[in-house]
Amino acid sequence: MLRRFELYALHPDAPVDCVRALESACRQCGQFIPEVLDSAVGTNRSVAPVQMVWEHAYASAEAYRRYMVHPYHAVVLDRFLLQDSPERIVVDDPLGAGLVGYSCDGPSYRMMSTGVRRLVLLRLEAQSSPEEEARLRDALERAPEDAPEMTVSVMGANTMGAAWFDGVTPMTGPPRWTHLWEQGFSDLDALESYRHGDSRTAEAERSGWTRAVGGIVKRSVEIFYELMPGTGGTQTSG
Amino acid sequence: MVHLVDTSEVRAENVDDYLELVRDVGVAVMTDAGATFVSCATTSREVGEAVHVQVVWAFDDHERWNEIRRNLVLDPRWYEYGARAATLRTGGTRRFYTPAPLSSL
Repeated sequence: MLRRFELYALHPDAPVDCVRALESACRQCGQFIPEVLDSAVGTNRSVAPVQMVWEHAYASAEAYRRYMVHPYHAVVLDRFLLQDSPERIVVDDPLGAGLVGYSCDGPSYRMMSTGVRRLVLLRLEAQSSPEEEARLRDALERAPEDAPEMTVSVMGANTMGAAWFDGVTPMTGPPRWTHLWEQGFSDLDALESYRHGDSRTAEAERSGWTRAVGGIVKRSVEIFYELMPGTGGTQTSG
Repeated sequence: MVHLVDTSEVRAENVDDYLELVRDVGVAVMTDAGATFVSCATTSREVGEAVHVQVVWAFDDHERWNEIRRNLVLDPRWYEYGARAATLRTGGTRRFYTPAPLSSL
């Protein structure tokens, strides 16, 4: 599967009805493009300089390619997004993470239809070995073992950041954020409980990753958002 | 054939600058990416209303548009074109049109 996130920084003067239209377009995408799975929209609650997140997934790269050529994508979604569109309501992404995502064997990212999603964007040391990365992934994905507030924990290489055209082939150089760690929480209180808790991963995060899991995390930034009611959580189509 | 119709609302005093941008940058960026320039037209500047500038591009189908969009994303000039156009317009619409043969009705 391909798990994908689009992070939108909205123009400060974007009309509210246009913002609502973009939210709606993202939420309803799976009704028009059946290849779009688990489509949900979130409102940013972190200090990251974005306002809206659209999370979704595809069963395969082939499914992603059908999304890419679907008229709904060009006609409805891109209307609000493309650089030269008269209806553009977003601005260039200051986070360097407008599009991120990873490959996974199955929908291990799924959680209830409401709640809080947290993305920790990671930049790993360029010289880190596959074994070190595997150890980091294992440690992060096992985080819920001593942080039960965390109901979802998936880490993957940010392949979608460069392979945005067909889901496989890098079109641009390595993305600023080489990996992402996707987490799920029932609500903001659960997230705060984790962040201030004494789990190994929470302590590693608070330490700036300096001594944690091999010390291969060079930089990180977080974004967390509340899923809007009525979106997400379940597969919208097979 | 698909027609991409961009209609931008532009203040009368900015229309010439907008048309110049389309002519000098937009046409090159879009045609290099694979689109065909079809037309550019404006509403009247002499009736006291904001001017609408309509620019039309053509391409075979949405698969071709996907390739054009990829080429645009990889072209630094597209970002400049978009940013400058945004400063010159006050609003507008983007629509895709496909032929509706009246003879089949």
